Amino acid sequence: MIYLDNAATSFPKPEAVYQALDRFARTDLANPGRAGHKMALAAERALDDARHLLNQLFAGEAPERFIFTLNCTDALNMAFKGVLSAGDHVITTDLEHNSVSRPLRAMELTGKIALTRIKADATGSVDPDAFRKAITPKTRLIAMTHASNVLGTVQPIADVGRIAREHEVLFLVDAAQTAGVLPIRVQEMLIDLLAFPGHKSLLGPTGTGALYVGPRAKVAVWREGGTGGDSSSETQPRELPSFLEGGTPNVLGVAGLAAGIKYFREHGMLRIHAHETALIERLWQRLDELPGVTVFGHRDLSRRVGTLSFVSEALPAAEIGGILDQAFDIAIRPGLHCAPYIHRNIGTFPDGAVRVSPGAFSTEEDIDRLASALAEIHA
Amino acid sequence: METKSNDPTFERYSRQMRFPGIGEAGQKRLGNSHVTLCGCGALGTVLANALVRAGVGHLRLIDRDFIETHNLQRQVLFDEHDVAENLPKAEAAARKLGAVNSSVHIEPVVTDIDRTNILDLVRDADLILDGTDNFEIRYLINDAAVKLNKPWVYGGCIGSHGQTMTILPGQTPCLRCVFEAAPNPGEAGTCETAGVLSPIVNIVASYQAAEALKILAGKLDKVNRELIYLDVWDNIQRRIKIAPLLGKVDCPCCRHRRFDWLEGDHGAHTTSLCGRNAVQVAHRTPSSLNFEDMARHLEKLGSVSYNRFLLKFQVDGYEFTVFPDGRAIIKGTNDVDKARTLYAKYIGH
Repeated sequence: MIYLDNAATSFPKPEAVYQALDRFARTDLANPGRAGHKMALAAERALDDARHLLNQLFAGEAPERFIFTLNCTDALNMAFKGVLSAGDHVITTDLEHNSVSRPLRAMELTGKIALTRIKADATGSVDPDAFRKAITPKTRLIAMTHASNVLGTVQPIADVGRIAREHEVLFLVDAAQTAGVLPIRVQEMLIDLLAFPGHKSLLGPTGTGALYVGPRAKVAVWREGGTGGDSSSETQPRELPSFLEGGTPNVLGVAGLAAGIKYFREHGMLRIHAHETALIERLWQRLDELPGVTVFGHRDLSRRVGTLSFVSEALPAAEIGGILDQAFDIAIRPGLHCAPYIHRNIGTFPDGAVRVSPGAFSTEEDIDRLASALAEIHA
Repeated sequence: METKSNDPTFERYSRQMRFPGIGEAGQKRLGNSHVTLCGCGALGTVLANALVRAGVGHLRLIDRDFIETHNLQRQVLFDEHDVAENLPKAEAAARKLGAVNSSVHIEPVVTDIDRTNILDLVRDADLILDGTDNFEIRYLINDAAVKLNKPWVYGGCIGSHGQTMTILPGQTPCLRCVFEAAPNPGEAGTCETAGVLSPIVNIVASYQAAEALKILAGKLDKVNRELIYLDVWDNIQRRIKIAPLLGKVDCPCCRHRRFDWLEGDHGAHTTSLCGRNAVQVAHRTPSSLNFEDMARHLEKLGSVSYNRFLLKFQVDGYEFTVFPDGRAIIKGTNDVDKARTLYAKYIGH
């Protein structure tokens, strides 16, 4: 199978990740912290090491501000439900994944919050000034994606972060498509809350993710329970990360995640990004030759991640996906990609588009085989 | 033998009670019995008709479909007015049979039978009858019947042939002992693709109805313990000895009490909405379809075209796009249940 669905989850993982998972599961897989024996301490250390790696990677204020979650969705929910109060106004965009738009829309529908959705322009970007104009005295939070999971277009988060800070509004970034791809420095970019998955470009296993909680963000307690320390406290200990991390964490997954982060640090995050966008450009050139095929988003590769979506006049997206899977053994993702608003914006709702997302281990040959298959389908 | 009952409602059953196998005691048992009939189409209408006339106490009739003109060729309780009124089959059957025998409590249920509701639909039944056209539901019925230790009678027809067997959990082999797995999509025909003759339906359902009377009257010793296979066109009658399978087959259902269909492991299809007015139905275990054979069956019903990638089939305003592994995108509906039904109807189970 040629796997070109890395925007959903990366595959394969680096060999070092498989080895780390196997080794950790066989030797150190105890409950972190709780007992104080050697294995428990080793497990605790695995969590600490990963937090340090994340803090270095994202230039955060402190490792303990990285809260491990199940995935990016879990981190986003923790943030939204933890910082928003009745009467708050929130600004978001129509580029968002359902993990952002659904919890916010649900809060809007119950009357808890007011919601403004900034529209992306024809090239797939949002204008920072539109946020400035949308801010009201009640605005509590700006929540936006760093890069569209449909179009692959990178958004001007540093500019929006500045506007948020000027107006004393909290700034949340969904880095599902960019964590491990593009440099993100949360303090410099004035990001208060950064949500990201561990299983995409950070190259860890599924079941991992994190929320960075900056000092301006007061996130309410989320999941109360055991923390491995401070057991005499009748309620959740106030210190991070324990405050937001009740229950046994996915320490095995986090050990794998740490190996993934180390892998792309060694191999150069920007080099991997350049590799992925070069593959996208290679495909794009072949798609240009196919009549009736439209690719979405601007073509400036420096402002893209390795994701490309297109539609064909000849065949609906779902059929292209089915044919590629069945006849050519190529995995891509047709449909709405859990982001209905941007598909409405670009006119591909509800049939959706075909999304191709190569990863660190994809090759030019993979792309050429996809391009040939598409040419054959369109012949 | 004269009936001693003075109850005037018993008079209508006098000829049935005069038959020694039923008698007054058997009739009373019938009157106190509770039957769930799954499916009220060809087999189902014959079964419902027989049971209501015979005087069962309570009959629950389950079917989610509405009556269409092409049903009238074999579904004996329906007429052209029902088609014009666009009635659900369960409702129309209940109305007709209510006029035939008002002493029977008839409960129409317009729903799809699935793993979430089947236990509730059969829990109070003394007997479950199969009037479905769908192997997936039959395995589900089998799971529920074995789990709750209730007898059930399987029946199925296609073309000019049909078969039936009676399952008494623990005493006879169950459906999974005999048929290990459902046929793959496109492998066995469906009534839509292969057609069906009314006489075979009446014969198989009548066998089932007779089995129902024996079970409800408490005459388990009279129950048929073989698989009966009949073809009214090619003049074949076979009785296949299945009793030895009991205990010999390592049956996951009746031996190991693993109810895969009830627990959803084997629900054959997964569905998802995809795009405008379209549902994708996929098989959990991919198969390998022969488009040439399929096209030959389907071209009688609608327009078909295929290439090495996919098969397209249009019928009744629906458009099927079928992939070689059995997955299909069905355009023309947003209703996943409807899509499932259409899939079973045209592609197979």
